[in-house]
Amino acid sequence: MKRLALIPACLMALAACEMAPEGTITVREPDSPFIAFNVWVKAGSQNDPAGKEGLAALTANLLSDGSTTEDSYDAILAKLYPMAAGYGYSVDKEMTAFRGRVHKDNLEAYYTLFRNALLNPAFSEEDFERVKTQTLNFLERTRRYGRDEELSKELLFWMAYRGTPYEHPEEGYVQSVRSITLDDVKAFYQQFYVRNNIVVGVAGGYPGGFVQRVRIDFDALPEAEVVPAPAPEAAMPDGIKVLIVEKQTSATAISFGHPISLVRGDDDFFAMMAANSWFGEHRNSFSHLYQVIRESRGMNYGDYSYIEAFPRGYTTQQPPINSARRHHLFEIWIRPISLTAPGNLHERALFATRAAWRELKALVDGGMTDETLEATQEFLHNFTLNYAPTVSRRLAYAVDDAFYGIGGDGFLSSLRPGLAGLTLDQVSAAIKRHLQYENMWVVFITDDAQGMKQKLLTGVPTAITYAGEKSAEHMAEDELIASFPIPVDEEDITIMGINDVFERSGG
Amino acid sequence: MKLMIGVAFLLALAGSAAAQQEEGIFPFDYRLVELENGFKAYLIKAGAPGQIAYVSMVRTGSRDEVEEGKSGFAHFFEHMMFRGTDKYPDYDGVTSSMGAARNGFTSSDRTVYYLVASSEYLEQIIDLESDRFMNLKYAEPDFRTEAGAVLGEQQQGAMVPGRWLNEKVRETAYDRHTYRHTTIGYEADVRAMPEGYEYSKSFFRRFYRPENVVLVLVGDFEFDEAEELIRQYYTPWEAGYVPPDVTPEPEQTAPRRQTVRYPGRTLPVLSINYKAPAWSATDRLAVATQVLGRVAFGSNSDLYKRLVIEERKVQYLSAGFGLARDPSLVSINTMVVNPRDVRTVEQDIQQTVERFREELVDETLLSDTKSNMKYGFLMGLETAQNVAFAMMTSVVNTGGIEAVNDYYRTLDSITAEDVREAARRYLMENGKTVVTMVQAGR
Repeated sequence: MKRLALIPACLMALAACEMAPEGTITVREPDSPFIAFNVWVKAGSQNDPAGKEGLAALTANLLSDGSTTEDSYDAILAKLYPMAAGYGYSVDKEMTAFRGRVHKDNLEAYYTLFRNALLNPAFSEEDFERVKTQTLNFLERTRRYGRDEELSKELLFWMAYRGTPYEHPEEGYVQSVRSITLDDVKAFYQQFYVRNNIVVGVAGGYPGGFVQRVRIDFDALPEAEVVPAPAPEAAMPDGIKVLIVEKQTSATAISFGHPISLVRGDDDFFAMMAANSWFGEHRNSFSHLYQVIRESRGMNYGDYSYIEAFPRGYTTQQPPINSARRHHLFEIWIRPISLTAPGNLHERALFATRAAWRELKALVDGGMTDETLEATQEFLHNFTLNYAPTVSRRLAYAVDDAFYGIGGDGFLSSLRPGLAGLTLDQVSAAIKRHLQYENMWVVFITDDAQGMKQKLLTGVPTAITYAGEKSAEHMAEDELIASFPIPVDEEDITIMGINDVFERSGG
Repeated sequence: MKLMIGVAFLLALAGSAAAQQEEGIFPFDYRLVELENGFKAYLIKAGAPGQIAYVSMVRTGSRDEVEEGKSGFAHFFEHMMFRGTDKYPDYDGVTSSMGAARNGFTSSDRTVYYLVASSEYLEQIIDLESDRFMNLKYAEPDFRTEAGAVLGEQQQGAMVPGRWLNEKVRETAYDRHTYRHTTIGYEADVRAMPEGYEYSKSFFRRFYRPENVVLVLVGDFEFDEAEELIRQYYTPWEAGYVPPDVTPEPEQTAPRRQTVRYPGRTLPVLSINYKAPAWSATDRLAVATQVLGRVAFGSNSDLYKRLVIEERKVQYLSAGFGLARDPSLVSINTMVVNPRDVRTVEQDIQQTVERFREELVDETLLSDTKSNMKYGFLMGLETAQNVAFAMMTSVVNTGGIEAVNDYYRTLDSITAEDVREAARRYLMENGKTVVTMVQAGR
């Protein structure tokens, strides 16, 4: 393997970290013309009160897209406009992040707006009504009808985390969001947007003394005790539990997975990162699942797996930022299966599910090989440089490092040595420790849910046809896939109509 | 000084947008390599050390799908470009071993292929990419298999309301031009793709030719070495581009109106479209049309302030005034909260149109808009890949990157009178198409 001793940009950038005031994270890149902000509030959807699911998200949304005591929202937009800058938010289970980026020409004017959005919100009724209406429209319509593949992933997490603070989707349920008032938002802000619960991240070509000034501004927030949310514990399903959501559709979305006790920074993380990359690298033809289901069978647009939460994967090829969690699922994402050749849609969907499941069994039972591990290490050696090509992403990784308690030079810097040092025994042992194929949460979104249920229960082989010729070897493997067992009991299959999805807590 | 190296190439960006205008907004050193076969490569030094973005821009997209029943084929063909050659039968395997991020995408006027990789692989990538553009080879069974993946792609986004509506808008607004169909294509055409093997070979022969492809290489490399390698590997590529016979859209003579029923749940979406000019870096009215979209319907417009923020009658208001290689549509799209307000909102938009046809735009708003567009460009130049992508509009529309500076010079000179003239010329009743998307069953 030919490699030059180049220092990747992101590693060098991290090396530029200066001593930052307490409660700040900095990634200083003095020559960059950009300054990035990332304000991390240590609260997420897990902190939503019962019956008010979606409150953390609505609060962040109102701060990001609302007026301040200094400027009305339209005045804020008018001031941001000539800079071509803006700021936005993300709310995940555990964390809220406000991110923005500006050209250094406009730093002062921009920072004033950004700071006021977080420190001096106006909590105007009109703004609240606007963002709440937009959220409800998303919940009632877009989420249910726009993209079944994303919905199937959200439902997988909902199934796996029933009864835990991770249960509900970040945006909440239709009924819970309806019940949220502006006073609820103010109370949430007062409870969690406090000095000791906020970490301020700044990166790029900011001037000397700037970070200290920012921290002083944020120190004006009151201090208050924040009770940490209990650690999430997802139950390993006892056997196979299936949810079939019925809707009128000509394609079937599929997600399945199980809890894993593994987070970034754990001893097994790099071993599992390598195993998962080979098995299902996100939106990359390197994924073995992609090769099996899409490349050689043309069944759909792609097939991937995950060891960390990866919301909105359809929008990006880079890993998500600021969705750090104390608990994760192992997840397989089979993109929608449609009738790409004559046959029955349910049979094709089950064939693809069986193909992925069978590959998972092979991975768990057989582990990786020297060849596949070496190929993965070679692939990731440079590919991981694409994780953080921008100052905003480098800063976000540094924030996530703080969440996970990763010290030293941080996660990005540890990737190359961590992956290069792996041995086959390590990886195979880690796979055995973390993955299994007998207990699984499974979600299908499809039409004729009863028909799908019957196909599952009878366990009949689900062979498929092709638009073109396939070799005898290929067809022999198809026979094995078509009859791969997915043993499931009738009481473990739940059917739900699309308009009941995420309507209310416990729904 | 080791810490400086990480962003050293970005120093050229450090000045303000205003300061850069005299010598042109494009801040990087570059070299143009032109071969006798018509192939052009722009070599741009920018981005982080040790990295390159290798972006091949084919000036062919769904616009070029002139034959009946072939909608979506340019995009399908993009998929086939990853199927290998005799020399490199496993394209994915080679790029994976480099750890390259690579992909392709297609739209109306272009098909773009990119790799972001370590600079150490420069020669191997030039070899690999020139080889597949010259010697692509795939068997019919593989072609048929890939057609399934394309149908899967078509299906996974088919119900996204914006995409669903876009298909209906195009069908309503165009009679003859190939912009009438979307890039993903009609579902029936996508389903028929497995039968198009022979057609795919002719598609490759006609369009994947050196005169029709522009390479934009951005990153950390030596000019001389890169030029020599490009000459070595791309010179054997035979010229022979056959431009498609794209039928011009006849002039629209009366407004068009259509209501379409989305088979999921949606609030009403109002799409108001006008026939607009082709993209140009030097045509003042074309550039002024793009400015008009922002000042009249953008996030800092009076209309946005009223409909979105104050009255909250709409969920969003967006303006698509991007322009294309041939005369195309500019669009104002908005989602109306209360179905009873659809007509009122349409009247509000119409009044705004009339106002901009009559009145001169406020000078501060015009100046802020120019600033917005310039900083928008500069803010997009953070990585090698983004620098290359920022060249795409210019390359696709003109065949080179020189128009980038021309465009921003023209933008600087746009006056309030130009914006009014653009509104008078292009926001015309006879060139208007209104499509309202409502929920089926209502």
